[in-house]
Amino acid sequence: MELTSSALELDWQEVQARIERFIKDYVKKSGAKGIVLGLSGGIDSCTVAALSALAIGGKKVLGLQLPEKETRNATDIKHSIFVAKKFGFKTETIDITPALQAFYKSFSTFDPSDKVCKGNVKARMRMIYIYYYANKLNMLVCGSSDKSETMMGYFTKWGDVAADISPLMDLYKTQVRKLARHIGISKGIVAKPSTPALWPGQLAEKELGMEYEQLDLILYGLEHFMKTEEIAKQLHLNKALADKAKRRWLAAEHKRRMLLTAKIEYRTVGTDFRLPRDPF
Amino acid sequence: MKRGFKIALAQIECKRADKTENLRRIEQTVVKARKQGAELIVFPELSLTGYVVRDEIYELAEPIPGPATETVEKIAQKTKTYIVFGMPELSRKAQATIHNTAVLVGPEGLVGKYQKMYLPTHSVFEEKRYFRPGYQAAALDTKLGKIGLIICYDIFFPEVSRLTRLEGAQLIVCISASPATRRTFFETLTVARAMENTAFLAYVNLVGIEDGLQFWGGSRLIGPNGRILAKARYDEEDMVMGTIDYADIRPVETFVPTLRDLRPELFDKLKENAEKL
Repeated sequence: MELTSSALELDWQEVQARIERFIKDYVKKSGAKGIVLGLSGGIDSCTVAALSALAIGGKKVLGLQLPEKETRNATDIKHSIFVAKKFGFKTETIDITPALQAFYKSFSTFDPSDKVCKGNVKARMRMIYIYYYANKLNMLVCGSSDKSETMMGYFTKWGDVAADISPLMDLYKTQVRKLARHIGISKGIVAKPSTPALWPGQLAEKELGMEYEQLDLILYGLEHFMKTEEIAKQLHLNKALADKAKRRWLAAEHKRRMLLTAKIEYRTVGTDFRLPRDPF
Repeated sequence: MKRGFKIALAQIECKRADKTENLRRIEQTVVKARKQGAELIVFPELSLTGYVVRDEIYELAEPIPGPATETVEKIAQKTKTYIVFGMPELSRKAQATIHNTAVLVGPEGLVGKYQKMYLPTHSVFEEKRYFRPGYQAAALDTKLGKIGLIICYDIFFPEVSRLTRLEGAQLIVCISASPATRRTFFETLTVARAMENTAFLAYVNLVGIEDGLQFWGGSRLIGPNGRILAKARYDEEDMVMGTIDYADIRPVETFVPTLRDLRPELFDKLKENAEKL
């Protein structure tokens, strides 16, 4: 198998159709009134919001903009509004700063200098708002995680990844970029650097230690059972880098799976209770 | 044996774990197909229950004959048609031993059944967890000729189709629940199985989405020369009609005489080497 960018090429028309069918079918089967999602203005959330609107109609899609003062970004807000107008879905904006500050102040041991713990609070706070709306409006939460970040565990457990469906989760970031362009997401949104917006200046590629173009090919190789020696050789990179990505992928499985429990009884939730996931 | 007849490829979407509703859909489709002249109507794999039912299969499986086959028999008698559909079959000799089975019924009642031999258990498939494999190929006698039955992943193993052909089937029916990521394989293998056996092959696939799996449809009737005689739409419910004229086999069988040229002694070698793999 040759690890080049062409390996990640897909029939984008077909991919779009398949994702739209998936969203439409799941919303219909669940009996929900529509979809609510966190709209950061980044490529993933803009793409999934647009696809949701194309699948079930913009009137049934609500994008929640949830800025907070430390990471507020005027360009992201502008991009969100632009995409919402173009694809005809609704948006609402709630500043989550007061809620976050109330949380920070609610206990004396809160450590503001621990940016990871603090950042995860932000991701989980956004999740609380999104699920509140979903609950109140009888809507489904649509996640926007992509395959690169999901495989690397680059997300907040029970935070940004929390959703009822995650239509982009089988597409690597570079594939999401292509799909985004295919459905008409503007170049400005597609080209800007990705950030989880947990603290100021946070950049995904910097934290992941490489550009998505390289990471995606490493992950694609791992997906296809390639050994890291072969991946490194083909991509002309240090094997240690491929090994590191592999270790990170494997170590993050606990973030992707149902809760683990001690096996005690006849059939156990999350292991050998095997039921269809689709709603009736 | 009737020389020529119409076959309907009934590519339906199933309602998960709802046998009553799926039997209603089968009946409705059979009536519609009959009005268009079909004498054989084929439905997808596990069309009685849907494909992704997981542990619910233990509640859904039925013996054959049983309530579901009796219902479909009545539909066949009423409409004077032959019907192939798929269901989880509960063994009469055990309490939770199930086969993934294709059933053929006709105006005369239950004609026969085929229990899937190759159960995919890889990627998204977990059939060996639930099903016991079958051990017999099926070439069933009907007034429409001898019909061979195979199911989905069986098509990757040429010996299953070949066995039905050697038992006299000139029409091989393959019922399937194939997700979209496998489309290329099936589009190639269905044609190959028809050509190498110089037989008609009717492939009927499921549509709809079950647990994120999107079944691609694309059902097709293939002639003995590999030509696609009828083709259903991708990804949506559809029913297409095709005509089977067994006389079309003769010129192909003389032009590419694969049956005449079979070398049985190679099969011993195959067995020997497969055991050592």
